[in-house]
Amino acid sequence: MDPPLQQPAQQPQTTARDMVFCHECENEWYRDEHGLSCPECHSDFTEIIEENHDPRVAAMADSDDDGPPPLGAFHHHHPWDAPDPDEDDINQLHWSTGPNTFAVQGVIFRDNLSQRRADPHDHDLHNPVLGTFATMLQNLVGGLGQQPPSEQPPSEQPSGSPSPGQGPNDRFSGTLPGGNRFTYQRTVRLHGPDGTHRGAHLDPSGDELNGLVEHLLGAAMGGPPGHTHPPSGQPGQPPGQPGQFPGQPQINPLAAIFAQLMNPGMAAPGDFVYSQEALDRIISQLMEQNTSNAPGPATPEAIGSLPKKIITIEDLGPDGRAECSICMDEVTVGEEVAQLPCHHWFHQPCVAMWLGEHDTCPHCRKGIMDHDKAGESANSSTNTADASSGSNGAPATPSRQQMPGTFGAGTEENPFIVPETPEQSRLHAQQDQRSSSERQPSPHSVHSDGDASGGGLGDRIRRGLFGQPR
Amino acid sequence: MAAARKRILKEYTECSNDTPPGMKINFDEQNMTEWEILMDGPEQSVYSGGHFKLRLTFPNEYPFKPPVVSFKTKIYHPNVSNDDKGSMCLGMLRPDAWKPPNKVISVLHLVRTLLIEPNVDDAIEASIASEFKDNKKGFEKTAKEWVKQYAK
Repeated sequence: MDPPLQQPAQQPQTTARDMVFCHECENEWYRDEHGLSCPECHSDFTEIIEENHDPRVAAMADSDDDGPPPLGAFHHHHPWDAPDPDEDDINQLHWSTGPNTFAVQGVIFRDNLSQRRADPHDHDLHNPVLGTFATMLQNLVGGLGQQPPSEQPPSEQPSGSPSPGQGPNDRFSGTLPGGNRFTYQRTVRLHGPDGTHRGAHLDPSGDELNGLVEHLLGAAMGGPPGHTHPPSGQPGQPPGQPGQFPGQPQINPLAAIFAQLMNPGMAAPGDFVYSQEALDRIISQLMEQNTSNAPGPATPEAIGSLPKKIITIEDLGPDGRAECSICMDEVTVGEEVAQLPCHHWFHQPCVAMWLGEHDTCPHCRKGIMDHDKAGESANSSTNTADASSGSNGAPATPSRQQMPGTFGAGTEENPFIVPETPEQSRLHAQQDQRSSSERQPSPHSVHSDGDASGGGLGDRIRRGLFGQPR
Repeated sequence: MAAARKRILKEYTECSNDTPPGMKINFDEQNMTEWEILMDGPEQSVYSGGHFKLRLTFPNEYPFKPPVVSFKTKIYHPNVSNDDKGSMCLGMLRPDAWKPPNKVISVLHLVRTLLIEPNVDDAIEASIASEFKDNKKGFEKTAKEWVKQYAK
């Protein structure tokens, strides 16, 4: 008796209960059972699922490509198809639609070497990858870049209001010259027109984060304050300026990019975290950085080319004996050993084993590679500055450390290639005419010449990636 | 490995000829990469009167990697981890500070020196270190109690 009675009673109750979705772990639960915090992962990044506002859809967009094309106006609209010399390297752009989303996937390939060969007069600093990336960021931030309409993402198309709950779920991934990859994902949900406001507006989520990123971007782009949006309000809140809201894409996914870009460089303005995972990542990066400060192995060539030395009577100690301090075997006059630049000597096989892991003298820790060219892992800032100002000399004191999370090496002479903003090119051009003492130190000197905008995004990213010049 | 064993054997010879005061090395030729060391608490230290058992483990990569020192007898000391490992890892024993010319005899001297004067700036047990700095009496009391309790 009871079960049949319960069944219908439960049904309306279910629909009336609020369902909450966790953005962290994609868990779902009833609000009246567990509240707003995720019972699984205890995240606060949760959202109540509403009928035409279902956060699960965005999370499932990848697997949900077979839905009917919902957007007549946008379905055949491929904004990235527009000819743009800056974007001709984005291939494999996939445009797919789900019931409530569309997704764009693209892969960016750039071959630095071929690019440089093709254009030998180009500035070495001019890295198309990050240039493209900057363009992309500008596109996304909307209102900050001056793109032709054809480049605008669909969310910024004012015509053809999307149907309720529509939005793009964008995903970019790229392969950078060093084999490093970056992925970029953006999820935006648009709401259809309703009584309070016409046109689309965007979901607020991660508002604190948006505030941070907006500040960051505002500073990086030097945009006027009007272009940095205050943390936007509730879904029902009408946007302040009707003309502005289509250009307000959610930029919290950018935080991931910025965290990645900025954190390896430490003191950069990206030192914020918004999840345990991000914190862990930063900590492990810091730890890796620590170990990478220790000298890496010496190259087999350097080890093999260590000069040989014949032990003479002068090499013996006061007691007339001497030993290889690695194996502690006694050496005798006439025996051949390998001598390091610091004049400490060891059995060749003994010291080779050590140098194969650490480029330090076992006694005094002086490296053996100092007198070699050692250019392949030289530090970035001096080198980049040299290259950019046209004097392609090897750095005077090659440092063997390499920042983790960088985009990989360029060439031997110019290990890190980063983009130059137009402003910088101009300044570089000016600098080239100045005395060498003035232009010498670092890309940072460019900066002091820059205006109040604090340099371009490229410079920001570069400092984030490679740290402040020492 | 063969080279490591050869060097360990040489070092044992050296150590047994010049063992630091209050120490005794139990060396097993069948398993020469594990040394058992019996150590009396230094007279001038709070560990005086205690008898501590330590294990010195040589990695296969020795001497390119440092030996591992662990206290088998519980000891209240800022530089010895207060767990079942009882590990001591500082100074030359750190992997990034170790260099092949370092010798076991100096490791043994280091251990003894640390019992006399703990290194609070490089402590593994931060709470013991701050007690040592701020409440030396309290530290000494506990250390002596532990000696009585564990190291007799």
